[in-house]
Amino acid sequence: MGSSDIAGAIRDAISQSLPGAQVQVSLGSPGHFSIAVVAEDFRGKSRVACQRLVYRAIAPLMQGDRAPVHAVDQLTTTTPGVSAP
Amino acid sequence: MDDSTREQIEGAIRNNPVVLFMKGTPRAPRCGFSATVAGILDELVGEYKTVDVLSDGKIRDGIKEFSDWPTIPQLYVKGEFVGGCDIVREMYESGELHETLGVRAEPVAPPRVSLSSSAARALGEALAEAKSQEPGSEHYIRVEIDGDFQHGLSISGKQPRDIEVALGTGGASLVVLFDRSSARRAEGLSIDYVQGPEGPAFKLENPNEPPRVKSIDVRSLKEKLVADSSLELLDVRSQKERDLAQIAGSKLLDREVQQYVLGLDKSTPLYFHCHHGQRSQQAAAFFLSHGFHNVYNVAGGIDAWSIEVDPNVPRY
Repeated sequence: MGSSDIAGAIRDAISQSLPGAQVQVSLGSPGHFSIAVVAEDFRGKSRVACQRLVYRAIAPLMQGDRAPVHAVDQLTTTTPGVSAP
Repeated sequence: MDDSTREQIEGAIRNNPVVLFMKGTPRAPRCGFSATVAGILDELVGEYKTVDVLSDGKIRDGIKEFSDWPTIPQLYVKGEFVGGCDIVREMYESGELHETLGVRAEPVAPPRVSLSSSAARALGEALAEAKSQEPGSEHYIRVEIDGDFQHGLSISGKQPRDIEVALGTGGASLVVLFDRSSARRAEGLSIDYVQGPEGPAFKLENPNEPPRVKSIDVRSLKEKLVADSSLELLDVRSQKERDLAQIAGSKLLDREVQQYVLGLDKSTPLYFHCHHGQRSQQAAAFFLSHGFHNVYNVAGGIDAWSIEVDPNVPRY
């Protein structure tokens, strides 16, 4: 699986778990990705809780030593209408 | 996760107010994310417990399950899971982490920075080019200084908690941005633009940089020896190796000489050599840790000396 295919798989996995979310995935070095998610589901939740939602969604892509997603360089979670930090 | 792994994790979290599960150790981190969090904790709290997950595969898998968090590092404060690298960094920048850890957020004063006119010109050109490529967005010069005093110079946008330093140089003013940790390390920084061996390059000099073992090549060492035959050139090899070959004017670093050197003024320049330059690096680091700040390692050791300076010194 190439990097852009994996990015697509990340986007799909998050969109499926968090319907209506806007997902942006950018590529880092091989296996490394930065993910920015804007979703209504995050409203009122702590940062840890928001990131858990995203990590849970992409867990299957991060499992094992030869996982397609080796590391998430940066993960930002925001609710619609709030500007990203 | 088996019971003993769970107990180990729970014990670490229960018995220590601040626990970082990381790859490697704070002094020798094995992953950049772990290094970042350890660096932040180093700055904010004197002592904290670390657990190296690489030394125990059960803990490595166990902590992910325990925290319901798939990545390392993981920070716990007073029994509560705080988060991974992104969250810790964000909380540090916003000041929230200080509150969580119960430390005061010290205000950061803008550092005094000097900029040479050639550097100002080169940075001005770089900014103009960035502007022409992306006319819509704002561009600033950013200086980053990490815990090892590696310096980075780049063009970027502004972050909310950045420290701004305006540098006026003959009319045009240039804004340089620092994140808070870099700003703390930047007092007295000077930025120059000089001709280097591979073309012009920026040169950043930082007076806060801790002393390091400097490297000296054998030809420069020869010049120093000619100028001052009594300089402290210390041979860290064995007497056996010295019998095979030695540099005139060097001393064997035995116990007695070591005591003598430790008694010298800490500003005395010390030069260390061995066969190829590895053992002497360690010896040099030892004296650096004892407060000497003019410590040199002879690159390539006596072997380089034989090849480049004095072929009469036999190679072995």
